Amino acid sequence: MSSSFHVAVREVKIGFRNPWAYSFMALFALFMLSLLLINAQGYATGYSGVTGTMLNLVLYLLPLMTLTLGSFSLTGDKEDGNWELLSTYPLGTWAFLLGKYIGLAVVLLVIVALGFGLTGLAGWIAGGGFDFPTYAKLLAFSVCLALLFLAVSMVAGALSRNRWQALTVAVAVWFFTIIAWPPVLIASLGMMPYLWIKPVLTALTFLNPAELTRLFTVVKLGGGSMLGPEYYDWILWIRKPSGTPAFLLVAALWTSIALGIAHMLWERGRRRV
Amino acid sequence: MIGGVCRWIAAVVLLAGLCLGLGPVSITAAELADELQELVDRALPGDTIQLEPGIYEGPLTISKGIILKAARAGTVTLLNRSQEPALKIEASGVLVAGLHIIDEAVKESPSVLVTSGGVRLEGLLIRTGSDGIVMRNADEGEVSGTTIEWGAADVRMADKGNGIDLYNSHSVRLNGNAIRDVHDGIYLENSDDTTVTGNRIERSRYGVHCMYTRGTLIRDNEGLLNVTGAMVMAVRDVEISTNTFMKQNENVNSQGILLYDAHDTLVAGNTVEGNRVGLYVELSTGNRIESNAISYNFIGIQLLESNDNRVSNNRFQGNVADAQARSSADNDLNGNYWDTFQGIDADGDGRSDIGYAINPFFQSLTGKRPAFQLFFQSPGMMFLEGLYQSERQSWTTDRAPLMAPPHLAEHVGERGQSGSATGLAGLLLLGGAGAMILMTRRRSI
Repeated sequence: MSSSFHVAVREVKIGFRNPWAYSFMALFALFMLSLLLINAQGYATGYSGVTGTMLNLVLYLLPLMTLTLGSFSLTGDKEDGNWELLSTYPLGTWAFLLGKYIGLAVVLLVIVALGFGLTGLAGWIAGGGFDFPTYAKLLAFSVCLALLFLAVSMVAGALSRNRWQALTVAVAVWFFTIIAWPPVLIASLGMMPYLWIKPVLTALTFLNPAELTRLFTVVKLGGGSMLGPEYYDWILWIRKPSGTPAFLLVAALWTSIALGIAHMLWERGRRRV
Repeated sequence: MIGGVCRWIAAVVLLAGLCLGLGPVSITAAELADELQELVDRALPGDTIQLEPGIYEGPLTISKGIILKAARAGTVTLLNRSQEPALKIEASGVLVAGLHIIDEAVKESPSVLVTSGGVRLEGLLIRTGSDGIVMRNADEGEVSGTTIEWGAADVRMADKGNGIDLYNSHSVRLNGNAIRDVHDGIYLENSDDTTVTGNRIERSRYGVHCMYTRGTLIRDNEGLLNVTGAMVMAVRDVEISTNTFMKQNENVNSQGILLYDAHDTLVAGNTVEGNRVGLYVELSTGNRIESNAISYNFIGIQLLESNDNRVSNNRFQGNVADAQARSSADNDLNGNYWDTFQGIDADGDGRSDIGYAINPFFQSLTGKRPAFQLFFQSPGMMFLEGLYQSERQSWTTDRAPLMAPPHLAEHVGERGQSGSATGLAGLLLLGGAGAMILMTRRRSI
């Protein structure tokens, strides 16, 4: 555990020396502020045009940021020989990956906190912005999204040999989960028998952290009725207070499985070296 | 439970009223009951009966044109425990004012049944376990200043009765009533030229529900947290103006205003805010939809298989999706303001030179396979919609959208400032993030 802590601390320190972290931070803050400016007159509460746009823009930017930061960090260690050096210490793969995950999570959460902090403060000063429950839900959405995609980025990093490969994998994962998801599913599920569509779609949604988090947030923002009668039970279930721990459980399961896969891939690489 | 408590409180209040009103002489409810029906039967048409404060046992039938009033409004209660209507009015020219009618049994017959024309009901408070006021073949009646609430516990919305229910009753005026927690707030069927003004309907299924009516006027009403604000079906020449319908978004079939098979109807100057669908128009023709403020809905306007409608000068703002349309190309959409649309105005007339076309892709996709509604406004879906541009000329299009939002007389809801909570949270986050960065940069841990 203490070795995990050391890896995490090192990761945070390297993270804040990394110019990438700062450029992403600037990008995220800038984009949050511009979003606030676009909706200068609008007041955002619940699921509305402002929050919908915000959800989508966060979905575009944050997963890509997370995937590149995470996978670059892992492949960077491979490329720069840090991992070979660390291998000479009594450090297990689990401790290493967990430390990496925690350290990177801290860096990402600081980026998110900065962006949201600026928006919250600027909105308050400008006399517009978000009401607190909506703001808190959007923040929770961003945090969940970052943490889930960070787990995916661990897999991407473990899979790749170098930063270039990692970039390819990261962009591919991002494109597939964010942009190509509806087109691919509509095309493939369209060929299935009508009655299969909903169950298959529901099951597949659990495989996509972006969709899972987005839908959970939409329902929690009060927009569940938008998903139509097909998902009535789901909406009711998520809206209950017990929906939140259930979602967190799913997210935790998701993260553990992804880290498990990353661990497996990393171990395979270790034997190969 | 709540009903029980309310009933208990009501009883205490009434008892207090009874003691105050009658001084040392106390009359029991049973005595008053006999007295009331007898009193009414004894009266001659045109007489006015002033009721002393107290609890009167129902049911009561009025079969001649009298005026029945509470001596002091709010002190007279008609309590009904039978399966009959608490108050049955069978003669024209009757006026009943200021009574509290407690009729909480869940039953078939309504709390107040009116079967003759020209009956006026004023300032009543009705707690019902069935329909509040039912009018059958009762023309030119009036219900005003009346509050109707659901009084029975643990009844599903589908099993509740309506607040005011009209059948074959023409030219009825419904003004300034408050209706809560019922099935349909105001239900009109085969009742023409009804005036529905200044009513407030909350937490019911439909606020105002018109079926097969003509010439209905629905004005200055407020609907809040119903499944649908105004459900206007199979009608002609209806006017729906300057109403406010807010927060009808809980149910998967919620709308602010729904027009179905509606023709030559005017929908103007309404404020439609925070609903699932602001304005839903299906199979309707020849309607004018003008100067409405349609804001913060999940979908602003939905046009399905509707043509020859005129939609102009409306303001669409802050909706998650502005508009969805299917098979509705022949509408005259002109001069609306869409906040997500960036127009170009070269000639400076305040209208965009390029049109705003409503992409039918998502609507037709989910029309065939509702399961895909899950992708509503997801980033990938918006990407796909952007790619889909075929047969653009057959899309529903606003030919000349407004460049700036029109000024509309709008009801402003409880729309506060972001408040200090968000600002403080922001400050805290910012401070935390800054401290974290400084800490890791400066100190060597």
